[in-house]
Amino acid sequence: MRVFFWLIFFFWAGFSFSQDTIINQKPFSSNILSYNNPSTTISFSGYYRFLGFVRNQQETFPNNSGKTVAISSGDAYREPMLLLKLNGKTRDKITFGADFMLNSLYKGPSSDFTQALTLNLGLNLSTSITTKHGTFNFKSGGVSWYRQSRLTVWGNRSFNRISIYERRPQTPLNKTPIDRYSRYYNSGLIDQGVRYGSRAFQGIFFQGLKLPLNFSVKGVLGKSNFNRSVLENNDNFTGSFQLKNTLSTSSKIAYNYLSSWANTDSISDNRRSYFLHTLELDKKWNKIQVQMELGVGNYSDPKYKAKKGEAILVNIKTAKSTKVPLNLQLYRISPQFVNVTGNFLNTSILEVFPNIDGVGTTIRTPYQSPMVGLGFPVNNRQGVSINANVNFDRLKLNGGIGVFAEIDTSYAALSYNHNVNSQTLSRIYLFAQNWGPYNALNSTYRGVYETVNITDTTAAGLANFKKFFNTIEFQAKYNNKIFGKNYYIFSLTRLNTCQKDLNILPQMGSEVLITQFSQEVDLSYEITDKAALVLTYGLEKVMGNQYTDIGDNPDSTATNSFLESLGLENLFRYTNSRNQKNTLFGFGLDYKIGNNAMLFYRFNRYRYFDPNFIDNHLKGWEMMLELKINF
Amino acid sequence: MKRSLIHTVVFFIMFLSVINLCAQVNEKIWFDGLFRSYFARDAIDKSKIDDTISANNTSNGYNILDLNTHINPIDDIEVFAQLRIRNSFGSFFGSGTEINVRQLRAKGVINNKVRFSIGDLFLKQSKFTLYNYDEELSGYENDLLKHYRDIIHYENFYRENRWRSQGIQTDFSFEFDRFIRSIDFDLFVTRPRGSSQINESTYSSDLLLSGGSIISKINKSLTLSGNYINLFEVASSGTRNISLRNPIHDMLLTHNFSNDKNHFEQTLQTGFSKRYWLHTELENNLEDSISNYTEGMYFELENKFIKKDSTLFLKVGYRYVDPNFRSAGAQSRRLDYISKSNTIYPNYTNMSITRPTSIFDLASDEQLYNQNLSSILMGFNPIYSNILPYGDATPNRTGVYMDAKYYNKNKLFISKLNAAFFNEVIGQGTLEKRNFLLFKGAAKINFHRLLNWDKELSIHVSSESELTRRGGDSISSLNLYSHHINTSINAEIAKKFFLQASCKQLNANGNEFLTERNNYGNITYFTSTHIDQKDYLFSFGMLYKFRDNVYANLHYNWWGMKFTDQIYSDYKYNRLLLILSVEL
Repeated sequence: MRVFFWLIFFFWAGFSFSQDTIINQKPFSSNILSYNNPSTTISFSGYYRFLGFVRNQQETFPNNSGKTVAISSGDAYREPMLLLKLNGKTRDKITFGADFMLNSLYKGPSSDFTQALTLNLGLNLSTSITTKHGTFNFKSGGVSWYRQSRLTVWGNRSFNRISIYERRPQTPLNKTPIDRYSRYYNSGLIDQGVRYGSRAFQGIFFQGLKLPLNFSVKGVLGKSNFNRSVLENNDNFTGSFQLKNTLSTSSKIAYNYLSSWANTDSISDNRRSYFLHTLELDKKWNKIQVQMELGVGNYSDPKYKAKKGEAILVNIKTAKSTKVPLNLQLYRISPQFVNVTGNFLNTSILEVFPNIDGVGTTIRTPYQSPMVGLGFPVNNRQGVSINANVNFDRLKLNGGIGVFAEIDTSYAALSYNHNVNSQTLSRIYLFAQNWGPYNALNSTYRGVYETVNITDTTAAGLANFKKFFNTIEFQAKYNNKIFGKNYYIFSLTRLNTCQKDLNILPQMGSEVLITQFSQEVDLSYEITDKAALVLTYGLEKVMGNQYTDIGDNPDSTATNSFLESLGLENLFRYTNSRNQKNTLFGFGLDYKIGNNAMLFYRFNRYRYFDPNFIDNHLKGWEMMLELKINF
Repeated sequence: MKRSLIHTVVFFIMFLSVINLCAQVNEKIWFDGLFRSYFARDAIDKSKIDDTISANNTSNGYNILDLNTHINPIDDIEVFAQLRIRNSFGSFFGSGTEINVRQLRAKGVINNKVRFSIGDLFLKQSKFTLYNYDEELSGYENDLLKHYRDIIHYENFYRENRWRSQGIQTDFSFEFDRFIRSIDFDLFVTRPRGSSQINESTYSSDLLLSGGSIISKINKSLTLSGNYINLFEVASSGTRNISLRNPIHDMLLTHNFSNDKNHFEQTLQTGFSKRYWLHTELENNLEDSISNYTEGMYFELENKFIKKDSTLFLKVGYRYVDPNFRSAGAQSRRLDYISKSNTIYPNYTNMSITRPTSIFDLASDEQLYNQNLSSILMGFNPIYSNILPYGDATPNRTGVYMDAKYYNKNKLFISKLNAAFFNEVIGQGTLEKRNFLLFKGAAKINFHRLLNWDKELSIHVSSESELTRRGGDSISSLNLYSHHINTSINAEIAKKFFLQASCKQLNANGNEFLTERNNYGNITYFTSTHIDQKDYLFSFGMLYKFRDNVYANLHYNWWGMKFTDQIYSDYKYNRLLLILSVEL
């Protein structure tokens, strides 16, 4: 009470004797005094993205809980509904950034459903120092996207032969809805954001540009997504750098180094590690460019010490101005050449993938002899592919053919990524390993791959033969107008086979271990400047032979029921092995609400079916409504 | 969940309002703060320790962004919020992120007359009422380890020897044209600890700290000030009927005069404290009573001499602090040995025993430090500070002290000297009293000034010795000597780029009695302890310094402890450290 009295008294006194109050001098204060010192500029950018999702499963796997309808809002993957990027710059010209991720489940007002404010990627700090010897850039934090060379650090990037019917959160908004499809028609490239073709790293980044004698250097020391330990504080790091010299405008040479190491045991010195040394050459003549990377690598862990392994990637391409641009790719990557951050899949050492709950499955790529498309090198494999483009007026054709062989025998298994319904299947069971009624499905980020067991094995359990792979990809793009409005048709045909023998062309028939054929057709129609209609149809057939898993249906089935109904016995066969048929029919609407604001609607009917594996039957529809607003 | 909601709401209010306001009233919202990247990898040297249990190495790191948002909706009013975003190193994408409101405050001036602050405050009064004394061994820190110290201070809100508290504060002043020149008033009420639930039916009480100051400048050379502070519990805000009271009254008279070259100042300071626990709402209508009552006073006379060209500073004084003088605001310690434990390798050896705290831990481990006021005397380690563990407010001390600083005119040579001789006022557990001798000295030689180099080349050396003696029989007698030596070298090999090396070592031997106290601060036991140990910390590193508080520092530490005839085993560890720190 007394305190309050004195408080009131002094406040009153302060007002009453205003002419005596000293303001300019600094009277005693028990509190700290602060001064206005605006030194940092801050700006914000980002997007709001609502994704409403409904899925109705009409056929489910037998172990389904009984829940057949799913209604959700927000991306099922770890993606922001509101991404708020903070960009700051200090008076020292040091930039910093944070990307806030705000999500809401829209499941009702209960506080149980309130989502914590978090970051999408992390915090970053960067600065640049210019000296007479060069410009030096430093960055710390993460996640940052980093790329060095294809054998050391490079994101998965191939020929962009995909269906663009499905959208990703990173897919930017175009000026008009139809622009996305016209760009794909014209350039074949889709802008998928800064992360495309790069790897996510946390740590310290450095870069030296304009160094004496045309040298440049860059590197990173930290953690990639694969550097995960059971004990979080254990050593588990990746370091890499590149020293590059630009000999002339048409030729470059670079040395790359990468080392990755992880403790396998906290109380001993045991560690799993690998290192790589590579040399990159890039030479351009008038119409031809040759890019080559040669490397040597070594892997070791407490149980296994590999010999040194070699790798070579050669890419010869003609200029786009030639009548038929060609691209010849050759590679050989030994099984001892191990890396998980390069632009190739590791298939020889399973242990380098972290097996941490909640993390391991998100980043484990197919590792059991994966059948992959063109432009996806794999270790323990060598091969050659050739790709070509040709245009006939409004019809643009591009395609490629490749043949590949294992260097050494490997797992008695195969794996393949689904080309059709891949995102749909992955949404049913996110980031799960060995799921489905036959434990063959594996979900990754927006994709699913399936494993196939091979029964022809050695005593050690490995395949009793080397595997050979053939791939054909063919894409046609067509643009014309109807009622004065543009329409685009994209057709993509892919054929992957794996067999015991080397063949120049893909084989069909019972001697092929796995045949994967897919056909996708997309149609986009410009209704107005603000609206585009999109349609898609996809069909995928996957067939095995007698050396692969046998189904639980006692009766064999025809590999093509249509041809069976026509009685064309030479064009199909009966089998008890895999005989999958995947279909997708979808339509959608892209609508521009205003500048930087668009609405996307998608409706898909899907079916995943195998008559020989009775429980492999999924059928249903899913619907998505996406509202994206950039700011 | 509720916390998350609050953070989200605060976040929205802060940032989305920023987006809306930026275009029109940008000057009304401005930012500063701090960004820090920190990575440390610690490793054990198992050749020196019989330890097959501890991990060979551990690494951890983080990035933090403390974004200080200053909102000035009108002139003379500022709303301040510090939002901390912390992202652990090694987390998967943005997972492992923490977002917290670290400070929130409104401050301003009412009618251009009365200054006020509400929320997070940083308060300081006099050395005996409210003062956050520096931690031990920090007086002469070398440049290489300064960054550790900066982080400790920043993370624990140690600013200018102030205690962080939350409450309300106001100050205003009057100026007169006769009799006296001015009177300044300062008042605050804060809550160092709020009521909280202990179990289903028990709640702790609110702990409040209130205080006020009146400072009067009587004439040009004479200043008289009075301070009052009280740390007390509000019994009715909890379920306990026992509540603390700790009022302190303080008075300070300062006289100063100057001539063209010199400035002289004499200070006389005295005051007294009470501390007791009040028992209220007793059963059977018993009247309120008090327990554990203590009362004590202090007295200090100090003389300062300052050369106006800043080349010499000299201070000598006499101080008496009663054994029962208790001031929570001045005697609470930064280092808390009792309730905190080492973060790095807290246990060692195959017996998994608690690792004794070393000078490395003191220099680097922010978790060992305390931000709360303690109503009783906190424990201390006599090895690191036995003479003035509670700063100038250490009770049961009487003696003289001296403090001197000398700067060469062109700052070629800088030296500091600190000496003191104290006795206990009464003996602890015996009639015999302890005698204390303190001697500290530091020197820095700037060779680059001698050689006329643009780039810095300097050597810093400091030595701190403490001697404690007590006579008497073989049981009560004691003799403890500790010596801390600290050397470092700074070499600027390119513009703003430094190579640094340092060596820090502490030797302590002898014997002492550790004092144990109960919840009311009463001594319950003396534990005899024999000490013979050597702490060491060697460091080597490099620093790129954009400017003060904006730097990149990479260094390596070798540190450990050696014991002679002790129950502890020797240990040795290494650390690789990277700090990127940017004051925004």
